[in-house]
Amino acid sequence: MCVLCGEFIMQVHWTDQTSDDSDTVRVGEKQRDRQRTRIERVNLCNQIFNHYGLKLEDWQGSKYILRDRKGTSKVVHDLGSLWATAENMLKRPIDPLDPQLLEKLSTVS
Amino acid sequence: MSRENKKPITIVTGCLGSGKTTLLQNILKAPELSESTGVIVNEFGKVGLDHHLLRKADEKTILLSGGCICCNSREDLEQELKSLLYMDEKDHKQKLNRVIIETTGLADPAPILFTIATNPILQHHFYIDCVITTVDAENGLLQIKNSPELIKQVTVADKIVLTKTDIAKAGQLNELKNRLKEFNPSAEFIEVIHGNANPKIIEGNTSTDYLDHIKNVNKPIVSDNNSNIQSISFTFSNPLNWTAFGLWLSMLLHANGENVLRVKGLLDVGEKGPIVLNGVQHIIHPPDHLKEWPDEERLSHLIFILRSIEPDAVSTSLKTFQRFLGTEAELLEVNSSL
Repeated sequence: MCVLCGEFIMQVHWTDQTSDDSDTVRVGEKQRDRQRTRIERVNLCNQIFNHYGLKLEDWQGSKYILRDRKGTSKVVHDLGSLWATAENMLKRPIDPLDPQLLEKLSTVS
Repeated sequence: MSRENKKPITIVTGCLGSGKTTLLQNILKAPELSESTGVIVNEFGKVGLDHHLLRKADEKTILLSGGCICCNSREDLEQELKSLLYMDEKDHKQKLNRVIIETTGLADPAPILFTIATNPILQHHFYIDCVITTVDAENGLLQIKNSPELIKQVTVADKIVLTKTDIAKAGQLNELKNRLKEFNPSAEFIEVIHGNANPKIIEGNTSTDYLDHIKNVNKPIVSDNNSNIQSISFTFSNPLNWTAFGLWLSMLLHANGENVLRVKGLLDVGEKGPIVLNGVQHIIHPPDHLKEWPDEERLSHLIFILRSIEPDAVSTSLKTFQRFLGTEAELLEVNSSL
Protein backbone atom coordinates (compact mmCIF):
# COMPACT_ATOMS: atom_id res chain seq x y z
CA MET A 1 0.00 0.00 0.00
CA CYS A 2 1.28 3.42 -0.86
CA VAL A 3 0.84 5.47 2.34
CA LEU A 4 0.69 8.74 0.46
CA CYS A 5 -2.04 8.10 -2.06
CA GLY A 6 -3.71 4.99 -0.72
CA GLU A 7 -3.03 3.04 -3.88
CA PHE A 8 -2.83 -0.69 -3.43
CA ILE A 9 0.28 -2.00 -5.12
CA MET A 10 -0.19 -5.61 -6.04
CA GLN A 11 2.66 -6.06 -8.42
CA VAL A 12 6.31 -5.17 -8.51
CA HIS A 13 7.05 -4.48 -12.15
CA TRP A 14 9.83 -6.66 -13.51
CA THR A 15 12.03 -3.67 -14.27
CA ASP A 16 11.95 -2.69 -10.59
CA GLN A 17 13.22 -5.98 -9.29
CA THR A 18 16.81 -5.95 -8.15
CA SER A 19 19.41 -8.57 -7.45
CA ASP A 20 19.08 -7.99 -3.75
CA ASP A 21 17.00 -10.86 -2.46
CA SER A 22 17.54 -10.43 1.26
CA ASP A 23 14.33 -10.54 3.25
CA THR A 24 14.95 -7.56 5.47
CA VAL A 25 15.83 -4.08 4.36
CA ARG A 26 17.02 -1.45 6.79
CA VAL A 27 15.54 2.01 6.45
CA GLY A 28 17.58 4.08 4.03
CA GLU A 29 19.65 1.18 2.84
CA LYS A 30 20.49 1.24 -0.86
CA GLN A 31 18.42 4.40 -1.27
CA ARG A 32 21.16 6.01 -3.31
CA ASP A 33 21.30 3.17 -5.83
CA ARG A 34 17.56 3.14 -6.10
CA GLN A 35 17.32 6.87 -6.57
CA ARG A 36 20.14 6.83 -9.11
CA THR A 37 18.33 4.20 -11.16
CA ARG A 38 15.10 6.18 -11.02
CA ILE A 39 16.77 9.38 -12.16
CA GLU A 40 18.52 7.55 -14.96
CA ARG A 41 15.23 6.00 -16.04
CA VAL A 42 13.50 9.38 -16.04
CA ASN A 43 16.32 10.90 -18.13
CA LEU A 44 16.21 8.07 -20.67
CA CYS A 45 12.40 8.21 -20.84
CA ASN A 46 12.47 11.95 -21.43
CA GLN A 47 14.78 11.51 -24.40
CA ILE A 48 12.09 9.32 -25.96
CA PHE A 49 9.15 11.42 -24.76
CA ASN A 50 10.74 14.53 -26.22
CA HIS A 51 9.43 13.32 -29.57
CA TYR A 52 5.91 13.14 -28.26
CA GLY A 53 5.87 16.41 -26.37
CA LEU A 54 5.64 14.66 -23.02
CA LYS A 55 7.75 14.99 -19.92
CA LEU A 56 8.30 12.59 -17.05
CA GLU A 57 9.35 13.57 -13.54
CA ASP A 58 10.32 11.57 -10.55
CA TRP A 59 8.10 12.41 -7.61
CA GLN A 60 9.57 11.90 -4.15
CA GLY A 61 11.23 8.69 -5.22
CA SER A 62 7.92 6.87 -5.11
CA LYS A 63 5.88 7.86 -8.17
CA TYR A 64 6.41 9.42 -11.55
CA ILE A 65 4.44 12.33 -12.95
CA LEU A 66 3.82 12.44 -16.67
CA ARG A 67 2.95 15.84 -18.14
CA ASP A 68 2.11 17.08 -21.58
CA ARG A 69 2.55 20.62 -22.91
CA LYS A 70 -1.08 21.50 -22.37
CA GLY A 71 -0.72 21.10 -18.66
CA THR A 72 -2.33 17.72 -18.23
CA SER A 73 -0.55 15.57 -15.69
CA LYS A 74 -0.97 11.98 -14.58
CA VAL A 75 0.59 10.01 -11.76
CA VAL A 76 2.30 6.84 -12.94
CA HIS A 77 3.50 4.07 -10.70
CA ASP A 78 5.87 2.07 -12.88
CA LEU A 79 6.90 1.23 -16.43
CA GLY A 80 4.02 -1.22 -16.66
CA SER A 81 1.48 1.58 -16.67
CA LEU A 82 3.68 4.34 -18.10
CA TRP A 83 3.21 3.49 -21.77
CA ALA A 84 -0.53 3.01 -21.47
CA THR A 85 -0.89 6.35 -19.68
CA ALA A 86 1.26 8.09 -22.29
CA GLU A 87 -0.85 6.63 -25.10
CA ASN A 88 -3.98 7.83 -23.35
CA MET A 89 -2.63 11.37 -23.17
CA LEU A 90 -1.45 11.32 -26.77
CA LYS A 91 -4.50 9.51 -28.11
CA ARG A 92 -2.26 7.50 -30.39
CA PRO A 93 -0.13 4.41 -29.93
CA ILE A 94 3.54 4.40 -29.02
CA ASP A 95 5.34 1.64 -30.86
CA PRO A 96 9.11 1.19 -30.69
CA LEU A 97 8.96 -0.61 -34.05
CA ASP A 98 7.39 2.42 -35.74
CA PRO A 99 9.75 3.26 -38.65
CA GLN A 100 8.95 6.98 -38.39
CA LEU A 101 9.91 7.11 -34.73
CA LEU A 102 13.09 5.16 -35.41
CA GLU A 103 14.02 7.51 -38.23
CA LYS A 104 13.52 10.50 -35.96
CA LEU A 105 15.62 8.95 -33.21
CA SER A 106 18.46 8.09 -35.54
CA THR A 107 18.63 11.56 -37.08
CA VAL A 108 18.88 13.22 -33.68
CA SER A 109 21.85 11.19 -32.58
CA MET B 1 11.64 -11.52 -4.40
CA SER B 2 13.57 -14.69 -3.90
CA ARG B 3 12.37 -18.07 -4.95
CA GLU B 4 13.44 -19.66 -1.69
CA ASN B 5 10.06 -19.86 -0.03
CA LYS B 6 8.04 -20.44 -3.13
CA LYS B 7 6.85 -23.72 -4.53
CA PRO B 8 7.77 -24.62 -8.08
CA ILE B 9 5.06 -25.31 -10.65
CA THR B 10 5.57 -27.48 -13.71
CA ILE B 11 3.11 -27.08 -16.56
CA VAL B 12 2.62 -30.05 -18.87
CA THR B 13 0.91 -29.24 -22.11
CA GLY B 14 0.57 -30.81 -25.54
CA CYS B 15 -1.98 -32.01 -28.09
CA LEU B 16 -4.75 -34.44 -27.28
CA GLY B 17 -3.27 -37.94 -27.21
CA SER B 18 0.33 -36.77 -27.32
CA GLY B 19 1.20 -38.58 -24.10
CA LYS B 20 0.90 -36.00 -21.33
CA THR B 21 -0.84 -38.32 -18.92
CA THR B 22 1.32 -41.33 -19.76
CA LEU B 23 4.39 -39.23 -19.05
CA LEU B 24 2.99 -38.01 -15.73
CA GLN B 25 1.89 -41.49 -14.76
CA ASN B 26 5.46 -42.71 -14.98
CA ILE B 27 7.06 -39.69 -13.44
CA LEU B 28 4.72 -39.72 -10.45
CA LYS B 29 5.76 -43.28 -9.61
CA ALA B 30 9.10 -41.93 -8.40
CA PRO B 31 9.07 -42.04 -4.58
CA GLU B 32 10.50 -38.53 -4.22
CA LEU B 33 7.55 -37.14 -6.18
CA SER B 34 4.63 -39.38 -5.32
CA GLU B 35 4.19 -38.09 -1.78
CA SER B 36 4.67 -34.41 -2.09
CA THR B 37 3.51 -33.36 -5.54
CA GLY B 38 0.12 -31.84 -6.15
CA VAL B 39 -1.37 -32.52 -9.56
CA ILE B 40 -4.08 -30.42 -11.19
CA VAL B 41 -5.70 -31.80 -14.32
CA ASN B 42 -8.28 -30.21 -16.56
CA GLU B 43 -9.79 -33.40 -17.86
CA PHE B 44 -9.81 -37.06 -16.97
CA GLY B 45 -8.61 -38.76 -20.09
CA LYS B 46 -8.71 -42.39 -21.12
CA VAL B 47 -5.44 -42.97 -19.31
CA GLY B 48 -6.22 -42.19 -15.69
CA LEU B 49 -3.81 -40.81 -13.17
CA ASP B 50 -3.63 -42.65 -9.91
CA HIS B 51 -2.39 -40.08 -7.49
CA HIS B 52 -3.61 -39.11 -4.07
CA LEU B 53 -3.04 -35.40 -4.48
CA LEU B 54 -4.98 -35.21 -7.70
CA ARG B 55 -7.35 -32.37 -8.32
CA LYS B 56 -9.60 -31.59 -11.20
CA ALA B 57 -10.23 -28.09 -12.38
CA ASP B 58 -12.82 -27.20 -14.97
CA GLU B 59 -11.28 -24.69 -17.27
CA LYS B 60 -12.79 -21.35 -16.36
CA THR B 61 -11.25 -18.33 -17.94
CA ILE B 62 -12.10 -14.90 -16.70
CA LEU B 63 -11.89 -12.41 -19.49
CA LEU B 64 -10.23 -9.30 -18.23
CA SER B 65 -10.53 -6.00 -19.97
CA GLY B 66 -7.75 -5.41 -22.42
CA GLY B 67 -8.66 -8.02 -24.93
CA CYS B 68 -5.32 -9.80 -25.08
CA ILE B 69 -5.63 -13.55 -24.81
CA CYS B 70 -2.55 -13.98 -22.67
CA CYS B 71 -3.80 -11.55 -20.05
CA ASN B 72 -6.76 -13.64 -18.93
CA SER B 73 -7.03 -15.13 -15.52
CA ARG B 74 -7.81 -18.77 -14.95
CA GLU B 75 -10.14 -18.74 -11.97
CA ASP B 76 -10.30 -22.53 -11.71
CA LEU B 77 -6.55 -22.80 -11.28
CA GLU B 78 -6.50 -20.01 -8.77
CA GLN B 79 -8.99 -21.89 -6.61
CA GLU B 80 -7.23 -25.23 -6.86
CA LEU B 81 -3.81 -23.76 -6.17
CA LYS B 82 -5.16 -21.90 -3.17
CA SER B 83 -6.75 -25.04 -1.78
CA LEU B 84 -3.49 -26.97 -2.23
CA LEU B 85 -1.71 -24.17 -0.41
CA TYR B 86 -4.27 -24.24 2.38
CA MET B 87 -3.86 -27.98 2.73
CA ASP B 88 -0.08 -27.60 2.89
CA GLU B 89 -0.23 -24.98 5.62
CA LYS B 90 -2.93 -26.62 7.67
CA ASP B 91 -1.61 -30.15 7.71
CA HIS B 92 2.10 -30.32 8.36
CA LYS B 93 2.31 -34.02 7.67
CA GLN B 94 1.20 -33.48 4.13
CA LYS B 95 4.11 -31.72 2.49
CA LEU B 96 3.63 -30.00 -0.79
CA ASN B 97 6.90 -29.49 -2.63
CA ARG B 98 5.76 -29.03 -6.19
CA VAL B 99 2.61 -28.68 -8.26
CA ILE B 100 2.16 -30.15 -11.72
CA ILE B 101 -0.57 -28.68 -13.91
CA GLU B 102 -1.68 -30.81 -16.82
CA THR B 103 -3.58 -28.73 -19.32
CA THR B 104 -6.11 -29.84 -21.89
CA GLY B 105 -4.87 -30.46 -25.41
CA LEU B 106 -6.40 -27.24 -26.60
CA ALA B 107 -5.29 -24.98 -23.77
CA ASP B 108 -3.18 -21.92 -24.27
CA PRO B 109 -0.54 -21.95 -21.52
CA ALA B 110 -0.18 -18.14 -21.43
CA PRO B 111 -3.22 -17.47 -19.19
CA ILE B 112 -1.87 -20.02 -16.70
CA LEU B 113 1.42 -18.15 -16.51
CA PHE B 114 -0.49 -14.87 -16.22
CA THR B 115 -2.64 -16.18 -13.36
CA ILE B 116 0.32 -17.37 -11.32
CA ALA B 117 2.46 -14.33 -12.03
CA THR B 118 -0.16 -11.69 -11.24
CA ASN B 119 -2.50 -13.14 -8.63
CA PRO B 120 -1.87 -11.27 -5.37
CA ILE B 121 -1.67 -14.49 -3.33
CA LEU B 122 -0.32 -17.00 -5.80
CA GLN B 123 2.61 -14.87 -6.96
CA HIS B 124 4.11 -14.99 -3.45
CA HIS B 125 3.70 -18.73 -3.01
CA PHE B 126 4.40 -20.23 -6.41
CA TYR B 127 6.69 -19.72 -9.37
CA ILE B 128 6.70 -21.32 -12.80
CA ASP B 129 9.69 -23.63 -12.84
CA CYS B 130 9.28 -25.33 -16.17
CA VAL B 131 6.88 -25.68 -19.08
CA ILE B 132 6.93 -29.06 -20.80
CA THR B 133 5.21 -29.64 -24.14
CA THR B 134 4.68 -33.18 -25.36
CA VAL B 135 4.68 -33.75 -29.10
CA ASP B 136 3.63 -36.99 -30.73
CA ALA B 137 6.54 -38.00 -32.97
CA GLU B 138 4.31 -39.84 -35.41
CA ASN B 139 1.49 -37.35 -35.80
CA GLY B 140 3.38 -34.21 -34.81
CA LEU B 141 3.92 -32.88 -38.32
CA LEU B 142 0.24 -33.23 -39.10
CA GLN B 143 -0.77 -31.61 -35.83
CA ILE B 144 1.50 -28.62 -36.45
CA LYS B 145 -0.34 -28.06 -39.72
CA ASN B 146 -3.80 -28.48 -38.27
CA SER B 147 -3.72 -27.08 -34.79
CA PRO B 148 -2.50 -23.57 -34.08
CA GLU B 149 -2.74 -24.36 -30.35
CA LEU B 150 0.23 -26.71 -30.65
CA ILE B 151 2.42 -24.00 -32.17
CA LYS B 152 1.62 -21.74 -29.23
CA GLN B 153 2.35 -24.56 -26.78
CA VAL B 154 5.69 -25.25 -28.46
CA THR B 155 6.82 -21.62 -28.39
CA VAL B 156 6.07 -21.37 -24.67
CA ALA B 157 7.89 -24.62 -23.82
CA ASP B 158 11.18 -24.84 -21.94
CA LYS B 159 11.41 -28.53 -22.73
CA ILE B 160 9.85 -30.42 -25.60
CA VAL B 161 9.22 -34.10 -24.97
CA LEU B 162 8.94 -36.16 -28.13
CA THR B 163 6.75 -39.16 -27.40
CA LYS B 164 6.10 -42.36 -29.33
CA THR B 165 9.52 -42.15 -30.94
CA ASP B 166 9.57 -45.94 -31.27
CA ILE B 167 6.80 -45.98 -33.86
CA ALA B 168 7.93 -42.96 -35.83
CA LYS B 169 10.25 -43.32 -38.81
CA ALA B 170 13.73 -41.87 -38.40
CA GLY B 171 13.31 -39.32 -41.19
CA GLN B 172 10.00 -38.23 -39.79
CA LEU B 173 11.53 -37.59 -36.38
CA ASN B 174 14.28 -35.39 -37.76
CA GLU B 175 11.89 -33.42 -39.90
CA LEU B 176 9.65 -32.86 -36.89
CA LYS B 177 12.58 -31.72 -34.77
CA ASN B 178 13.62 -29.22 -37.40
CA ARG B 179 10.12 -27.86 -37.63
CA LEU B 180 9.87 -27.52 -33.86
CA LYS B 181 13.22 -25.73 -33.75
CA GLU B 182 11.84 -23.15 -36.15
CA PHE B 183 9.18 -22.31 -33.61
CA ASN B 184 11.34 -22.52 -30.53
CA PRO B 185 15.10 -22.64 -31.13
CA SER B 186 16.02 -22.55 -27.47
CA ALA B 187 14.01 -25.48 -26.10
CA GLU B 188 15.57 -28.68 -24.84
CA PHE B 189 14.50 -31.83 -26.69
CA ILE B 190 13.90 -35.09 -24.86
CA GLU B 191 12.84 -38.33 -26.54
CA VAL B 192 10.60 -40.60 -24.52
CA ILE B 193 9.12 -44.02 -25.21
CA HIS B 194 6.02 -45.17 -23.26
CA GLY B 195 6.43 -42.30 -20.85
CA ASN B 196 9.69 -43.69 -19.47
CA ALA B 197 11.43 -40.49 -18.57
CA ASN B 198 13.74 -39.38 -15.83
CA PRO B 199 11.55 -37.75 -13.14
CA LYS B 200 14.07 -34.92 -13.07
CA ILE B 201 12.71 -33.57 -16.35
CA ILE B 202 9.89 -31.82 -14.53
CA GLU B 203 12.45 -29.61 -12.83
CA GLY B 204 13.53 -26.43 -14.54
CA ASN B 205 16.99 -26.09 -15.98
CA THR B 206 19.78 -24.73 -13.86
CA SER B 207 21.47 -21.59 -15.03
CA THR B 208 24.33 -23.55 -16.60
CA ASP B 209 22.01 -25.67 -18.72
CA TYR B 210 20.01 -22.62 -19.54
CA LEU B 211 23.08 -20.88 -20.85
CA ASP B 212 24.05 -23.87 -22.92
CA HIS B 213 20.65 -24.01 -24.56
CA ILE B 214 20.67 -20.36 -25.38
CA LYS B 215 24.21 -20.46 -26.66
CA ASN B 216 23.55 -23.46 -28.83
CA VAL B 217 20.95 -21.67 -30.85
CA ASN B 218 22.58 -21.92 -34.21
CA LYS B 219 21.52 -19.85 -37.10
CA PRO B 220 17.77 -20.32 -37.07
CA ILE B 221 16.58 -22.60 -39.82
CA VAL B 222 15.09 -20.86 -42.82
CA SER B 223 11.42 -21.60 -42.58
CA ASP B 224 9.30 -22.32 -45.60
CA ASN B 225 6.10 -22.43 -43.62
CA ASN B 226 3.39 -19.86 -43.77
CA SER B 227 2.79 -19.80 -40.04
CA ASN B 228 4.59 -16.41 -39.93
CA ILE B 229 6.48 -17.34 -36.78
CA GLN B 230 10.09 -16.28 -36.88
CA SER B 231 12.89 -15.94 -34.43
CA ILE B 232 15.86 -13.70 -33.94
CA SER B 233 18.81 -13.97 -31.61
CA PHE B 234 21.31 -11.34 -30.49
CA THR B 235 24.73 -11.67 -28.91
CA PHE B 236 26.34 -8.73 -27.12
CA SER B 237 29.92 -8.49 -25.91
CA ASN B 238 29.67 -5.46 -23.58
CA PRO B 239 27.39 -5.17 -20.59
CA LEU B 240 23.93 -3.90 -21.46
CA ASN B 241 22.38 -0.98 -19.66
CA TRP B 242 19.57 -2.68 -17.75
CA THR B 243 17.55 0.49 -17.22
CA ALA B 244 17.61 1.37 -20.92
CA PHE B 245 16.97 -2.21 -21.95
CA GLY B 246 14.03 -2.53 -19.55
CA LEU B 247 12.62 0.67 -20.93
CA TRP B 248 12.82 -0.57 -24.50
CA LEU B 249 11.52 -4.05 -23.76
CA SER B 250 8.59 -2.84 -21.66
CA MET B 251 7.71 -0.45 -24.48
CA LEU B 252 8.00 -3.20 -27.08
CA LEU B 253 5.84 -5.57 -25.05
CA HIS B 254 3.28 -2.89 -24.36
CA ALA B 255 2.82 -2.23 -28.06
CA ASN B 256 3.44 -5.68 -29.51
CA GLY B 257 3.20 -8.10 -26.61
CA GLU B 258 0.62 -10.30 -28.28
CA ASN B 259 3.00 -11.02 -31.12
CA VAL B 260 6.17 -11.43 -29.12
CA LEU B 261 5.52 -15.05 -28.30
CA ARG B 262 8.68 -15.55 -26.33
CA VAL B 263 11.66 -13.65 -24.97
CA LYS B 264 14.56 -15.50 -23.49
CA GLY B 265 17.88 -14.14 -22.48
CA LEU B 266 20.95 -14.26 -20.36
CA LEU B 267 22.13 -10.70 -19.99
CA ASP B 268 25.33 -9.17 -18.69
CA VAL B 269 24.31 -5.89 -17.06
CA GLY B 270 27.59 -5.18 -15.33
CA GLU B 271 26.60 -6.90 -12.08
CA LYS B 272 28.49 -9.82 -10.57
CA GLY B 273 26.24 -12.32 -12.28
CA PRO B 274 23.97 -12.27 -15.30
CA ILE B 275 20.23 -11.71 -15.38
CA VAL B 276 18.07 -14.54 -16.63
CA LEU B 277 15.16 -13.11 -18.58
CA ASN B 278 12.15 -15.20 -19.53
CA GLY B 279 8.93 -13.90 -20.95
CA VAL B 280 5.81 -15.07 -22.71
CA GLN B 281 3.79 -12.38 -24.51
CA HIS B 282 2.93 -9.64 -22.00
CA ILE B 283 4.13 -11.69 -19.07
CA ILE B 284 7.74 -11.40 -17.95
CA HIS B 285 8.79 -13.75 -15.17
CA PRO B 286 10.57 -11.95 -12.34
CA PRO B 287 14.09 -11.65 -13.77
CA ASP B 288 16.49 -13.88 -11.93
CA HIS B 289 19.70 -12.13 -10.93
CA LEU B 290 22.35 -14.83 -10.67
CA LYS B 291 25.17 -14.57 -8.12
CA GLU B 292 27.88 -15.52 -10.57
CA TRP B 293 28.49 -16.52 -14.15
CA PRO B 294 28.23 -20.22 -14.92
CA ASP B 295 31.41 -20.11 -17.00
CA GLU B 296 34.21 -17.82 -18.08
CA GLU B 297 32.58 -16.39 -21.15
CA ARG B 298 30.57 -13.27 -20.39
CA LEU B 299 28.38 -12.69 -23.40
CA SER B 300 24.78 -11.57 -23.38
CA HIS B 301 22.39 -13.67 -25.41
CA LEU B 302 18.87 -12.68 -26.28
CA ILE B 303 16.24 -14.57 -28.28
CA PHE B 304 12.86 -13.41 -29.54
CA ILE B 305 10.20 -15.65 -31.08
CA LEU B 306 7.91 -13.42 -33.07
CA ARG B 307 4.57 -13.77 -34.81
CA SER B 308 3.76 -11.46 -37.72
CA ILE B 309 6.66 -9.17 -36.86
CA GLU B 310 9.71 -9.00 -39.07
CA PRO B 311 12.80 -9.93 -37.01
CA ASP B 312 14.64 -7.12 -38.77
CA ALA B 313 12.25 -4.56 -37.33
CA VAL B 314 13.09 -5.68 -33.79
CA SER B 315 16.77 -5.64 -34.54
CA THR B 316 16.64 -2.13 -36.06
CA SER B 317 14.55 -0.88 -33.17
CA LEU B 318 16.90 -2.24 -30.52
CA LYS B 319 19.95 -0.83 -32.27
CA THR B 320 18.39 2.58 -32.85
CA PHE B 321 17.18 2.91 -29.27
CA GLN B 322 20.53 1.89 -27.89
CA ARG B 323 22.37 4.38 -30.06
CA PHE B 324 19.84 7.09 -29.25
CA LEU B 325 20.00 6.52 -25.52
CA GLY B 326 23.78 6.32 -25.63
CA THR B 327 23.81 2.84 -24.14
CA GLU B 328 25.10 0.93 -27.12
CA ALA B 329 26.64 -2.44 -26.38
CA GLU B 330 28.75 -4.04 -29.05
CA LEU B 331 26.55 -6.35 -31.06
CA LEU B 332 28.49 -9.46 -32.02
CA GLU B 333 25.97 -11.48 -33.91
CA VAL B 334 22.40 -11.24 -35.10
CA ASN B 335 20.70 -14.32 -36.43
CA SER B 336 17.29 -14.11 -37.87
CA SER B 337 15.24 -16.66 -39.68
CA LEU B 338 14.69 -14.53 -42.72
